[in-house]
Amino acid sequence: MLQHSTVRNRLLRRLSGDDFALLQPHLRPMPTKLRQILISPREPVTQLFFPEVGYVSVLAENGKYGIEVGMVGREGLVGAAPVLLGSDCATYHEFVQSAGEMLAIGIGPFCTAVRHSPTLRRLMLRYVQTKLIQTSQTACANAVYNMDLRLARWLLMCHDRLDGDEIPITHDLIALLLGVQRSGVTVAVRSLAGARLIRRQRGRITVLNREALITLAHSSYGVPEAEYARLIEET
Amino acid sequence: MPRYYFNLRHRPGPAGLAVDPEGEELPDLNAARERALNAARDTIANIRSDFVRDWFVCSFEIEDEDAQLVLMVPFSDTVPEVEDDEPVEPALHAVRS
Repeated sequence: MLQHSTVRNRLLRRLSGDDFALLQPHLRPMPTKLRQILISPREPVTQLFFPEVGYVSVLAENGKYGIEVGMVGREGLVGAAPVLLGSDCATYHEFVQSAGEMLAIGIGPFCTAVRHSPTLRRLMLRYVQTKLIQTSQTACANAVYNMDLRLARWLLMCHDRLDGDEIPITHDLIALLLGVQRSGVTVAVRSLAGARLIRRQRGRITVLNREALITLAHSSYGVPEAEYARLIEET
Repeated sequence: MPRYYFNLRHRPGPAGLAVDPEGEELPDLNAARERALNAARDTIANIRSDFVRDWFVCSFEIEDEDAQLVLMVPFSDTVPEVEDDEPVEPALHAVRS
């Protein structure tokens, strides 16, 4: 049986014992594979997913081009916004960027639990607020910052959601997620590796100096993370 | 299909080459040249970098699967040769292709 004390998802960990007990019988451990699609646009959301290990990218697609508009790891809940805000279907693709494990829950028992418990509802809505901030900051970073900063911010967001310093990722996928040509990624990776902030190997990037990445990312990184700490973990 | 690696030369010397570790499968060298020109146009138009301040000094050094240099495509090849008094239409190059 799933124990509250051993779950790793930060939202679930924040729940009171009573609120966790409302969800617990309905949480189903589910291993995830790289690029597994959890939510598709224009399709009803039937399950939500609390990531335990690994994380998910939210991808907006417009014909030939796509761009990442959100990231959900252990701090979050995949499917939270459409379900809690009353939409009957999703708008974007949500797919597994780093494989691991989720706790899946059907929309029925989740909504029943949220209706019963104002404290559970408040925590989940606060998470949706931090996710909105994350998306807004992504829009800002895409418009304002150069490629090195955008890559630094993105690597930090991955690093936050992983155990250890190794990010399994190809330049191809980074290019897709950041909405640029692979050559833009090639140069930015070269730049950060040259400054010894990261080490690149085939199929993965290792974070060598997180503090320096934060300094480089400047104000593009940290706003949603600070709001998450304030709204979810300090109250 | 052969795989081509689009290494990006941003300044002279061994430290001036940003290596493309993954490459891309394309039908032939002509297709690789077209791919390089499209990537260069998009990069010039859309990517700001403090590391490379002037894209027009850059070129793709395209290698094949045996790590042999098979073609160089300067970013300046994206711009047609024009006479000094001929007006240039930079907006043409800002279109993502």
